[in-house]
Amino acid sequence: MPSEIPNPRWPWVAIGLSAAVAITLAMVSPSDTVQGDLVRIMYVHVPAAWLAYLAFAVTLVCSIGYLFTKNLTWDRLAASSAEIGVYFTGLAIVLGMIWARPTWGVWWTWDARLTLTAIMFFVYIGYLALRKTTDEPRARANRAAVLGIVGAVQIPLVHFSVVWWRTLHQPASILRPDGPAIQDTMMLWALLAGVLAFSVIYLSLMAKRVELHRLNDTLHVAELAADRPVAGASVSSPDLDEGTADV
Amino acid sequence: MSTAFRTQVVAVVDRDLRRERRRGDVLWVTIPFGAMALFLFPLAIGTDSALLQRIGPGLYWVTVMLFGVLISVGRASVETQAQRDAASLLGLDPAAGYVGRSISAAGLLIIFEVILGVVAIVLYGFDLIGIPWLIATLFIVAIGLGLLGSLAASLVGSSSSGSALVPLLVAPLAVPLLLGATQAYEGLRLGDSILPWMLLMAAVVLVAAIAGVLTARPLQES
Repeated sequence: MPSEIPNPRWPWVAIGLSAAVAITLAMVSPSDTVQGDLVRIMYVHVPAAWLAYLAFAVTLVCSIGYLFTKNLTWDRLAASSAEIGVYFTGLAIVLGMIWARPTWGVWWTWDARLTLTAIMFFVYIGYLALRKTTDEPRARANRAAVLGIVGAVQIPLVHFSVVWWRTLHQPASILRPDGPAIQDTMMLWALLAGVLAFSVIYLSLMAKRVELHRLNDTLHVAELAADRPVAGASVSSPDLDEGTADV
Repeated sequence: MSTAFRTQVVAVVDRDLRRERRRGDVLWVTIPFGAMALFLFPLAIGTDSALLQRIGPGLYWVTVMLFGVLISVGRASVETQAQRDAASLLGLDPAAGYVGRSISAAGLLIIFEVILGVVAIVLYGFDLIGIPWLIATLFIVAIGLGLLGSLAASLVGSSSSGSALVPLLVAPLAVPLLLGATQAYEGLRLGDSILPWMLLMAAVVLVAAIAGVLTARPLQES
């Protein structure tokens, strides 16, 4: 019997190749003159944060797409992207804390970027929790789409927080009007390879999650059909054999 | 705003306030519970008067935000799906329902804020500075929380886990209100301009109002 879930080999090959390149570049790139080897955490932390932005932006676009078209594929894309975004936001926060402890001397500080990122994390935890409140695909999609749009207000707030408040977290290193702040070419390539590898992981996970959501919806419809009582099922004929059957 | 819409809004506000008068959830449960929280903070962090005077306004606004969430969603969370369906069949515009619920919640929140404000001033001894601005802040926070709470209640609908989920949805979205309110007081204390903070809070109110009105119908239909 063929498997219901397609399991192509290309995502694993793409993840393997891109991860190998990213890990190699992260290992061979030079240490930072101030941070030493701690800088290598940035090759994972920055791509994770980038993926979080990308994932939540995709959730926003797909939520709008769903409200306009009412096509459940948009909702599945939005949900899958939010799930991955929550994971990568959590990863970015944890890696940032591991980096901050030896660098800033604390696990956590009330920096604008950190605080807003944590709030964004909670907003999308709420988004995922909201999706659990109903199994009915249409109702779930309608509700989640609204929160997917309202919650996206957090994305620019988090990104520009380092510009608006100028607190402890350093400003953007690559996406700057005057070009990347990273002078060492090898470091820059290591960072870009990390971003590429994480983007490939994101795409692969998206393909899997969207398919799982589609199968979940199909299962829900099948369960509903199975549970539906047949017309007249409440009327039954009298059991004339009662008491006469063999025990 | 058409007359029919306004009439529906007034009817929803009237219904919610009558329900509160009968049940007394805010008056007899939430306000005493909030006052109790203000009473408990010093027992946990120390009873140094100077410290309490310094951090009192912040503790007050955190209490207003966390307990205010209960008030802001309370009106909507007691509605059953059958009641929602009945209101819909009677021709209630979902947007009017949203606006009405938000207004009644905001009204109750203002009462909550004033009573808790008196308790906080008595317990912590901080000064009232720039009273017109403080009153404006009270109103904006109440309206913002009312709108966000009603929006969140519409999102979760009549689901069984809704009452637990709504605070999780509202609290992160209400953070700009908390920041705006606390920083506005701090600005008044230091003599700085508080206009940016007032604008931040007004922006939250505007976004919540637009999002709630535009999505009221699709959310009800879902």
